[in-house]
Amino acid sequence: MSEKGSPQAILTSFLTCISRIRKRGAREMNFPGLQKMSRMLLLLFLCTSVLPIAGCWDRKEINDVLLVSAVGIDKKNDKIEISIQIVVPKATGGGQQSISGGGGGGGGGVNPTFVNSATGITIADAIAKLQEQISRKIFWGQMKVLIFGEELAKEGIREHVDYLARHPQSRLRLHVFVSKGKAADILEVLPPLEKSSAESARELALSQFGLNKTMKELLQMLKGEAGAAALPRIEEVPPTTGGEKDHTTVRLNGTAVFKKDKMVGYVNDELTRGILWLRNEIKRATVTIEPSETKGRVSLELIRAKTELIPQIEHGTWKMTLKAVAEDDVVQNATNLDMLNPSVLKMLQKEAKKDLENRVYLALKKVQKGMKADIFGFAEAFHRKYPKQWAAAKDRWDQIFPNVEVKVDATVYIHRPGVSTESPALPKNEVQQ
Amino acid sequence: MFRKWFRKAKPLSQKQPSTPQQDPLSTDFHENLQVLRSIYNNCADVIFRPFLIGGNKKAAIVYIEGLSNIEEIDRSVLGPLMDAAAGEADTLRAIIENKITVPEIKEVKTFADCIGHISIGNPVLLIEQEDRALSLGLAKWEKRSLEEPTAESVLRGPREGFTESMGVNTSLLRRKIRSPRLKILSMKVGRYTQTEVVIAYIEGLADTSLIDEVRNRLQRIDMDGVLESGYVEEMIEDNPFSPFPQVINTERPDVVAANLLEGRVAILLDGTPFALIVPTTLYSLLQAAEDYYQRFMIGTAIRWLRYFFFVISLLLPSLYVAVITFHQEMVPTTLLISMARSREEIPFPALVEALFMEITFETLREAGVRLPKQVGAAVSIVGSLIIGQAAVSAGVASSPLVMVVAITGIASFSVPRYSAGIALRLLRFPMMLLAGSLGLLGVMLGIIAIIVHLCTLRSFGVPYLTPLAPIKGRDVKDVLFRAPWWMLNTRPRLTGEENKYRQAPGQKPDPARGTE
Repeated sequence: MSEKGSPQAILTSFLTCISRIRKRGAREMNFPGLQKMSRMLLLLFLCTSVLPIAGCWDRKEINDVLLVSAVGIDKKNDKIEISIQIVVPKATGGGQQSISGGGGGGGGGVNPTFVNSATGITIADAIAKLQEQISRKIFWGQMKVLIFGEELAKEGIREHVDYLARHPQSRLRLHVFVSKGKAADILEVLPPLEKSSAESARELALSQFGLNKTMKELLQMLKGEAGAAALPRIEEVPPTTGGEKDHTTVRLNGTAVFKKDKMVGYVNDELTRGILWLRNEIKRATVTIEPSETKGRVSLELIRAKTELIPQIEHGTWKMTLKAVAEDDVVQNATNLDMLNPSVLKMLQKEAKKDLENRVYLALKKVQKGMKADIFGFAEAFHRKYPKQWAAAKDRWDQIFPNVEVKVDATVYIHRPGVSTESPALPKNEVQQ
Repeated sequence: MFRKWFRKAKPLSQKQPSTPQQDPLSTDFHENLQVLRSIYNNCADVIFRPFLIGGNKKAAIVYIEGLSNIEEIDRSVLGPLMDAAAGEADTLRAIIENKITVPEIKEVKTFADCIGHISIGNPVLLIEQEDRALSLGLAKWEKRSLEEPTAESVLRGPREGFTESMGVNTSLLRRKIRSPRLKILSMKVGRYTQTEVVIAYIEGLADTSLIDEVRNRLQRIDMDGVLESGYVEEMIEDNPFSPFPQVINTERPDVVAANLLEGRVAILLDGTPFALIVPTTLYSLLQAAEDYYQRFMIGTAIRWLRYFFFVISLLLPSLYVAVITFHQEMVPTTLLISMARSREEIPFPALVEALFMEITFETLREAGVRLPKQVGAAVSIVGSLIIGQAAVSAGVASSPLVMVVAITGIASFSVPRYSAGIALRLLRFPMMLLAGSLGLLGVMLGIIAIIVHLCTLRSFGVPYLTPLAPIKGRDVKDVLFRAPWWMLNTRPRLTGEENKYRQAPGQKPDPARGTE
């Protein structure tokens, strides 16, 4: 909107006009409606005059806006390289019905997303350079995914997080990942199923097989007392046939462990499950156990799980008990066991409990003893229960943490054996009672 | 410009033209006839029929062609009087009692009264040597038969509507409410049209001060003609500059009767099938007669639906404009991408696009209403389908916007009272401008302004948002819900305070009851 000539001049002339009408109305015509009307005209004028003064300043048409679906931050020599994954509305075909006729036409051959990169000293600098290359205004409001490159993560992410946490458009519900290799490579993947690799990554995180961390949680972890953070690690699935980029996809694989804001190591997928148990974030899991007394395996699916950290300080030793309760269903029975037999169930529950505890101990061994990063929330648990001791020991937490004695106390219930009790494909006489 | 306009509006207080003389009739038959003839000079439709009663006494009957029942005049008046033997019909009393077989006869004493009766169709009989004339109730004119009101049709409920004739309308009311407490006050409005205006209310239910107020406001009207209830509506409103109607109009006798039973007052006009009901609240504009005829659950659900679409019809285009030009982060990504795709080739800003489509839609609607019925249907189909489709494929409008306009259109049709829908149609445009310039902030400002305005509105002293602002807990049962009939024990507070209870309490049906 252009500026109006001289708003003040118009305003004053209008005001005098109004007041004249009002006086006349009152004096000569004795017409009360006129006064009211002039008041309303005045109000109307004031309202409309506000529009050119303040209105439209941040108006941006949707077709002048660059929709960023994901951003990746990498290290390039001693600078920062920022890559943004841009949605091309023209190209996202799909529901083009006849009514939208001329609007786009399905975009044959144009990729639904493309990646643009720029290098700068800081993110802000890099983004300014990025904007110079792009005809539309970068809009962060729809960005769902943030990926840190591995190399950058090792150097520290705090200063980079700041830009995105400070920007009014960017969201705190952004899903954050650490990539194996360069973040830009992940962005460039064109998955066959979803519209973009960012969408794939987001859906994967939401499925909660692995870690799911948003910007808000990352900030909380970075600010937290434990001084450690964990982010899901994302990687490109190597193409099965040929080497084409658009037939690959991305997957979550393990967890990147941060101490302060620097990545110190990486935990594989299996141990990540242990971390999820400790953090009370486990939602979906399929556990396969091998009962010792018979051949074959039984697979259990997790239905409900709840874990609780119970801290304890006894004579100066810091202890932590993890109380875990899991409810499982049987999804596959490859043994000859009868699932309706309570003693069999009991045995299975025991096996499952052992398996669970094992996983947790493995994760603890690697992260607690190896990396010495408290990504489990032990610090908060101790703080809450022993505020005084915590205040005294706060500064020594780095030394205390690796020596916290952790005991896992798991209970597993198997509630439903599924539609069939024994293996339905097994002859009756081979079923072990 | 304004000044000129208002000065023109000034010449007011000149009094009514003094056509009909207030003089009484004289005993001179010829003079009386002469005066009437001069009053009805150049009125070809006024018939003067002189004749002799019993062969010697001069008399004349005056009536307006087409307004009186000619066969009845012939059979009940002219016939018996002309055939009367001498001396049999000498006095007025004898004529009334023995000769004229008309049920309704009134004696009139002034020319003004004569004219009044003649003009409503009652023939006036002038007789030699009498200073009184007889008005015979033989008015009869062409009337429309009772039809179902097209603007307020129902699936379940009475299908008769008011007509243009006052007698029919009051009789329809009287047929619904048989009690003599249904009062029907008559008055005349309009210098030339002398339109009969009737105030109907139920004695003991309607507040007496409300009745007085209605009568006062009607008596203050001094204008040439009142041809439709709209004239009266604008002359008696509390806030003439509000886009919201402060008077309900309806064509349905059952609606009027229901409102009378709630203690409201109805104003009926001769010559129009539309009756006015005061006082009005915003919620009564969102209620349909059928809410009370269908089962209460669906009645409640439909009410909520209406409230929701009432808001939609006001806000949807402006929300669309605001979100698409200012708040792209508020739309789910997938939807935003498809919106962006459809807007990719639109040359106009979203505001211009929306204004263009809304104005087109309003024009189509107006065209559909004014055109003859057969053509109107075609126009609305051409408009909604073809133009929407064409606008999109021509790259003038985006398909989400066409959908927004369509939903808005449907939403505004869901408001049962046309006059309330009009207010929203009007307000939609300033709201869109606000949205296009200030985004959601503008929309919020607009909403606040509208709510403030609604809070200041009153209809005959009753706050417009009653019973929600000010809150009247008792009445919420008939606004947010449609409580079942056995729970609607009390009348609305601000209109029916005179006589609180409209039925006996505890009438919830229960098969066990009565066997105890």
